[in-house]
Amino acid sequence: MAYNLPVFRGILNLLIGLQVTLRHLFSHAVTLQYPTERWTMPERSRGVVVLLSNKETGELNCTACILCAKACPCAAIMIERHRGDDKKWKIDSFSVDNSICCYCGLCEEACNFDAIALTPKYEFSTYDKPSLTYDMHRLQELGRDVAYTPRVKKAAAAPAATATATTEEGGTPTPTTTKAATETQTNPSEKGEST
Amino acid sequence: MRLELSPLLKIIGDWITSLGLPIWLVDLIEMCGAAAMVLGMAFLVILFLVWWERKLSGHFQQRLGPMRTGWHGWLQTIADGIKLFQKEDIIPKTVDRKVFYWAPVICFASSFAAFACLPWGKNLWPTDLNIGILYIFAITTFVVISLLMAGWSSNNKYALLGGMRSAAQIVSYEVPLTLSVLGVIVATQSLSMVAIVGAQEKVYNWFIFRQPLGFLIYLIAATAETNRAPFDIPEAEQELVAGFNIEYSGMKFAMFFMAEFLNLFLVSAVAVTLFLGGWHGPFLPSWLWFLLKAFFIVFVIIWFKWTYPRLRVDQLMEFCWKFLLPLAFLNLIVAGFLFR
Repeated sequence: MAYNLPVFRGILNLLIGLQVTLRHLFSHAVTLQYPTERWTMPERSRGVVVLLSNKETGELNCTACILCAKACPCAAIMIERHRGDDKKWKIDSFSVDNSICCYCGLCEEACNFDAIALTPKYEFSTYDKPSLTYDMHRLQELGRDVAYTPRVKKAAAAPAATATATTEEGGTPTPTTTKAATETQTNPSEKGEST
Repeated sequence: MRLELSPLLKIIGDWITSLGLPIWLVDLIEMCGAAAMVLGMAFLVILFLVWWERKLSGHFQQRLGPMRTGWHGWLQTIADGIKLFQKEDIIPKTVDRKVFYWAPVICFASSFAAFACLPWGKNLWPTDLNIGILYIFAITTFVVISLLMAGWSSNNKYALLGGMRSAAQIVSYEVPLTLSVLGVIVATQSLSMVAIVGAQEKVYNWFIFRQPLGFLIYLIAATAETNRAPFDIPEAEQELVAGFNIEYSGMKFAMFFMAEFLNLFLVSAVAVTLFLGGWHGPFLPSWLWFLLKAFFIVFVIIWFKWTYPRLRVDQLMEFCWKFLLPLAFLNLIVAGFLFR
């Protein structure tokens, strides 16, 4: 009998194995039928890079400061710009090469004007490599439906900043100068959001 | 010829006889007709089985299996068949051409020929040989020869190893398989498939209840006979790529593939006939009962496949000769005493 004991235990184990696989047979399949069903990506997942536009005017938030291009570790962002008549940078072309982009999100962090963002979009496969380089218009169109809250940092922080600046200068702050300083401070952000 | 499925067939038979043709021609036409019917049934079974296996394999792994072709992928097998028809028939330069050519033919023909004795339902069998079960086991032995032919003629080390392994395995497992069947034959005192089914009219007469050990041995040996997991060392993908059929492509491969599924259905159908009461069952038509039971056995064999890991060659042989064979003898002796 002692000889046979492992045999019976083995048979029992075989039956337990059958039970386990049967349980898996009747449990729900985890397959997602891809083109008809899709995962809902997490809100802050880092997919394709887009350029954001002002929701009201529909124009790009970008001020061509090229901070994003400088922050990019793999030089995927190419920007061409020139100075306009009002001494402000005007953007000529903005392109992101998705084939070398590493989706780190540093450009989004570097941007001060809500102009560039990484979105949860991930379906941008093509048949040839050059078409992975997106130009400004394509990036803008991709970013049209991306929801974002325009940042209010400058407007809120500006009075405090001007206050310290004026006290350091030593002069007594008059209401007019404060207002002017605030205007000049907030100007870039307003420009960025409105133009 | 006992095909009495519908009055229509009888009418056709009478009409052919009334044409005044010579007797041998009438016989030939009837034979060809019956063979065509069985062939059609065999293809339908294959069509269903491939789909059934793929769906079950998927769901065992919590996948869905084929879903795109037709409702839940039921056209998948047809799509695969069309694809295989279109494929180029590649014959490598160094193969032994004649043997290479005939191996899949023999494989498919021997599996298919065994269908001649299957009782599909009440009064529904192509022929009722008085040595039916012996015929089935004799004719399916040709599968071994064809696998060996394929493995040898391919001139490929994997194919040769696969062929050798399958020959060794099938020849070994033939012994407990036949011995477990002998228990049933001892009880019914007949080799005829129809007589064996006739002996198990009541549910408590089914041989699965009278000889459960024999049924278990049969099921295990049948799994090994069809080269299916956990006994699938002849085509162990990880070590032999595909085994004996590695050099085959196109329709030749398809014939091996179909023969594999025919064999699978055949061992299940024989299990149903011998142990599960054949076509007997309440309410439903007899042929449906037969098919339901057969597909259930197929399901069990697929269930084994997704549960147990593959055995090593020595474990396989040890299990057969040291474990199954003594048990089969024991079963036979007990059956001999009980059913004198």
